[in-house]
Amino acid sequence: MMMDQMMSSLSPSFAPVWSLALSGGGGGGGEGGSALGVLASLKEVPLSAMVWLIPGLPLLGALLAGLCAVLKVRSKLPAWLMVLCLAGSFAVTFWMYQQVAATGGSTFAVVHLFDWINFNWAPGKAFVANFSLYVDPLTCLWMLFVTGLAACIALYASEYMSHDVGPGYCRFFFAFGLFVFSMACLVMGDNLLLLYLGWEGVGLCSYLLIGYFYQKPSAVAAAKKAFILNRIGDLGLALAIMLIFVKFGTIEYAKLWPMLTQYLQMAAAGQFDQIPTSVQLIAVLLTLAAFGKSAQLPLYVWLPDAMEGPTPVSALIHAATMVTAGVYLIARTLPLFQISVAPLAGLEGTWFGFVSQISALEIVAYGGGLTALLAATIGMAQFDIKRIMAYSTVSQLGFMFAGLGVLASYGAAFHVFTHAFFKATLFLACGAVMHGFAGQLDLRKLSGVMWMKGWLIVGLAMLVGCLNLAGVPFTAGYFSKDVILAEAFSVGHFRPLAWILLFTALLTAYYTFRVFFRVFVGPKHYEPGDELHAHDDHGHDHGHGDKHDHGHDAKGHDAKAHFHPHPPGWAINTVLALLAIASIAAAFAYPTYFVKGLVDTSTAQVAAGAAGHTHVGGATIFGYDPHKAMYYISGIVGAVGIITAFFLHYLGRRTAATSAADNLNLGALQRAAQNKWYVDEFYNFTIRLPLKVLSHIFHMLDKLVVDGLVNLAGLLPRAGGAGLRPSQSGVLHGYAVAMAAGIGVLGLVALLALR
Amino acid sequence: MIEKISTLWPEIALFMTTCVVMLLGLSANLNIRKLCAPVSAAGLIIAGVLAFGTTPENLSSTLPHFAMYGKLLAAVVGLLLLGLLTGVADRQYEALVASGRERFDPIRTVRGEFYAFFLFSITGLMLCAGATNLIWLFLALELVSLPTYVMIALSSGRERAMESAVKYFFLGALGAAIFLFGFVFIYGATGSVELAEITRTFVAQGRDGGINAIGLLGVLLAILGLCFKIAAVPMHLYTPDVYQGAASPVTAMLAFVPKAAGFYSLILILACVGWGGGGGLTVTQSAAGSHGALPSPIGEVLTIIAVLTMTIGNVLAVMQSSVKRVLAYSSIAHSGYMLVALIAGPGPFGTDMPSNGFAAVMMYLLSYGITNVAVFSVLAVLERRQADGTIDEVDGFGEIRGLRKRHTGLAAIFSLGILGLMGFPPLFGFFAKLPLFQSGWAGGHMALVLILGINSAIAAYYYLRLLSAALLDSPEASARNVESFERAPLAGRDMAGYCAVLAMVGLIVLPLFQVSGLQPTRWASDAGEYKAIPGLEPSRNNATTLAPAPQPVPAPEARADSPQAAR
Repeated sequence: MMMDQMMSSLSPSFAPVWSLALSGGGGGGGEGGSALGVLASLKEVPLSAMVWLIPGLPLLGALLAGLCAVLKVRSKLPAWLMVLCLAGSFAVTFWMYQQVAATGGSTFAVVHLFDWINFNWAPGKAFVANFSLYVDPLTCLWMLFVTGLAACIALYASEYMSHDVGPGYCRFFFAFGLFVFSMACLVMGDNLLLLYLGWEGVGLCSYLLIGYFYQKPSAVAAAKKAFILNRIGDLGLALAIMLIFVKFGTIEYAKLWPMLTQYLQMAAAGQFDQIPTSVQLIAVLLTLAAFGKSAQLPLYVWLPDAMEGPTPVSALIHAATMVTAGVYLIARTLPLFQISVAPLAGLEGTWFGFVSQISALEIVAYGGGLTALLAATIGMAQFDIKRIMAYSTVSQLGFMFAGLGVLASYGAAFHVFTHAFFKATLFLACGAVMHGFAGQLDLRKLSGVMWMKGWLIVGLAMLVGCLNLAGVPFTAGYFSKDVILAEAFSVGHFRPLAWILLFTALLTAYYTFRVFFRVFVGPKHYEPGDELHAHDDHGHDHGHGDKHDHGHDAKGHDAKAHFHPHPPGWAINTVLALLAIASIAAAFAYPTYFVKGLVDTSTAQVAAGAAGHTHVGGATIFGYDPHKAMYYISGIVGAVGIITAFFLHYLGRRTAATSAADNLNLGALQRAAQNKWYVDEFYNFTIRLPLKVLSHIFHMLDKLVVDGLVNLAGLLPRAGGAGLRPSQSGVLHGYAVAMAAGIGVLGLVALLALR
Repeated sequence: MIEKISTLWPEIALFMTTCVVMLLGLSANLNIRKLCAPVSAAGLIIAGVLAFGTTPENLSSTLPHFAMYGKLLAAVVGLLLLGLLTGVADRQYEALVASGRERFDPIRTVRGEFYAFFLFSITGLMLCAGATNLIWLFLALELVSLPTYVMIALSSGRERAMESAVKYFFLGALGAAIFLFGFVFIYGATGSVELAEITRTFVAQGRDGGINAIGLLGVLLAILGLCFKIAAVPMHLYTPDVYQGAASPVTAMLAFVPKAAGFYSLILILACVGWGGGGGLTVTQSAAGSHGALPSPIGEVLTIIAVLTMTIGNVLAVMQSSVKRVLAYSSIAHSGYMLVALIAGPGPFGTDMPSNGFAAVMMYLLSYGITNVAVFSVLAVLERRQADGTIDEVDGFGEIRGLRKRHTGLAAIFSLGILGLMGFPPLFGFFAKLPLFQSGWAGGHMALVLILGINSAIAAYYYLRLLSAALLDSPEASARNVESFERAPLAGRDMAGYCAVLAMVGLIVLPLFQVSGLQPTRWASDAGEYKAIPGLEPSRNNATTLAPAPQPVPAPEARADSPQAAR
């Protein structure tokens, strides 16, 4: 009987709940045999048979890396296995995208893998969270760049991490694979709990990888900082999921969206007072979650510090994929935001009164906009090129959130997509520099790198990335930024935000090319970093010590004299070239409506009559339609930024190390920006210090009161036991008497109860 | 009576195995004698297969699948325990023989008896699960316990074991006397020893205004007597002494077999009284007036017992310095946890796992049996060489300190077992503990669930203390004398290792089943299936029993017009 039940529960487990109506590609390849036939028949493979490979292969890769660690493999084997697995995952994702595109989008499939959690405590009341994958255009968009970039960056890391071959190498790729698996759970899960699992999973992997050099105190501190700050956002996500379950009785997307249509209609009709405040509050909690994971004000401070991790990690996790999880979360749950556009009425007079004046979307929009501006100003004053890239990531994420906030979900998703490619390129180029110059990241100590032998590809890739980031016309970054800016200008009451964003775009162009002009062009000059004669276990020779004599066994400062920068090998160059090409090619997504098609057929589409957002019909900038005007304005803004950088940091540079800009005496302003506006110190003072004091007080209380009580509780039974314990010394009838007494007492209780 | 035999094939097979084992144990040839363990194992496997294969005799009885799964559980955990026990019988004597210091003397051996007693005890447990009348139940319970007295005495050559055995025997007799007394009263109140007949009479009495006082007294005394078997307050006092005195493998057995027998009997007896909403009695007789509550004095008494058992067990465990005493007190606490599910009863929604307390108890027994074997197997493998050269068991915290550094594998098994007892999420212990909470919650016993939660937190304290001693501390001077079996040339070390590994596999693999849809909850909810007696369902509550009601808690008006409220 048991067997029967087991069998019956097995058989339906791979059947999709909704199956895609797969059209096209049918008859042609029926006969099979030829390669073409195989390809054609691939189209007939049901989605459910393959899709599980997308999270499955990275997990397999992670397990294999773990196995390599157990078997003490001391080669690049784990990296190759990981690259293979991730490439396979990407191939399946691409196939999935083909399948979804064949249906013309606007549909979704739920691929059920297995039952995960199913509590039903009463008929009709159940908490169901299956391990099922939700396949829709938005999923495809995200997974395409996640798996694609992960495969590329794994290849890059195979060379970049080569100085650590051995246990550390396996550990790196284990966490790497686990990250991609978690990210796939986050993006593909068909319910919010699976998203939460992925959310925590990527957080864990991020923690593990930031703290990869765990012997470095700063890396450990950065890892802790990232983990703890993310807790705040995660609390918001947990509360939001609970609230969704309480309000709607389900956390599965497929059941949740239909329930929202009624509210959406109300929102479209402007009847916000009819939507319960608690439902509107969900969006605020989700915003908190997204701000934590995507490093927005006030929770952004962990991301710059996260650069302590190896550069491939910074590129994949802290620039291209994980940090866009917040954008994904909001894009995925955009219906919940659309019904939360009105000020949260009903909270006035409560403790939350201050929230009552702004809506969730406004928080998202202005949070994003201000973060963008703040991070850009900090980025202008930094000297560590990786850190500049980190602040630019925070800043660009701010753009995406601003896009979401003005309900330009297409713009936000498009910017995520393009940003993923060009920011990964930038990071990997910086990583190549760091790798080649023994950890040197100070832009004052490097110059003319592009003209050195073997560094051309790195320099070109960097140029492509910079052009994109600066928003030079006809690059991918230009198009995607434009969409956001134009939408911000065309939504009436977001005008101030739009100006903030435009100004930020100017700063972005400036600081991007500040890096490029100082490090990559100009006179050749370098000072190697301190990883040469330093410190820790992970190979100071960067894995090629046999070929070049770094003299690292010589005394510290002699080593510098013998230093030769070593240009990147084939893996790094290939990946950089690939990503640079991809960054350029991403621009074609704009005229072909690749991203727009995907976004507008998913849950991230903005409902007709976009609630509360008065698209001023004839909104104009200087008398032009904002979309057209923006083509020119942002092009000019980008050019101005670049030209400023050109004058200050290329022409104005007297020697390799100093530039005209350095002599500009901006006084306190510059110092403050260089010190990141003292935000960390501010947090230290306002949050950490009171907490520390409190913890000391609680510690004292705990010692005095709680321990005292516990000791007392320990004493009491002992004191009481002193009377009863003679029986413990083996007196049998002591037990018998105690038992009889117990029975008597309970009998008395029964008698009393009966009365 | 003849048709009853068809349900007894597992017990019959086990009994035949027992006879064979006794004969083998008498053999003068040491090798033949060593067949005892494999033959016992084969017998248990056969009995398990038979238990799985036998169709339940009466699908319309109150607990249709209970006997089958109860027997299966006995066979499965019995097999694990057997592996552990192989290290006990004659091991010191055989070590002496192997070292050549003594000559082999067939007369001085206890191997045959030892296994036979163990199998007898398991047979008793199976009979318990299949009991349909009180006399049968009483005899089965005695068959469970009597062999254990001897096994404690045989388990080690030390005086302490003898003392434990005597203590256990006398107090056990006291307990048996009490529940027998209770059975007599039940017979007096209902005029029958058949459980089905007793149920009908109680239901009829319940309709007429309440079970009569003699019947209630009988049930109460039966419960209190059975408290001895499950080591619950007020009959728990023997536990630490006896558990400490017996050899670790026998302690593992004591912590599972009599406890399971006690819970089987409690389920059978409480099913006669019913949970109001579940089928036995009507709502009007149940204490709180809500669905699914036990009749008035029984519910209260059991609640008090559960609370005291959990709390006393955990609080006293915190203060122990001996590992085995900690485990003994924690065993008391675990009984308290299971009583919560028992008080909740089968729940208002049929066989649904989360709300069904029977199913929760069955699942927890399986989990507890497995984790117990894991923990005790580690203690069984370790031993301590004393200053005078004699070998003793590992007991104090000091002796497991730094276990990780000395025996990594053992430390891993030990910590997984402890985490399992603690109910740590990925392990089976968690998935078994959750239904206890859920069934209590579904039954509306919020206070009990809260106390259960608090107690779990207290328990985590001493479990983690054990863990930190084994994993984090460095070996102390006293631990230097702690050798594993690997050094000691004693028989059965492999088996103890195997069954430890087996228990681990259970701990880790069962949750995998859980998440993959092949849920072990399925069998548990089958085992806990509870049916109202045909024709005698309380008419008032048909809505709650047969067709699940839309709202879990009946409206308060339901009791406003009840006779009890009127009274």
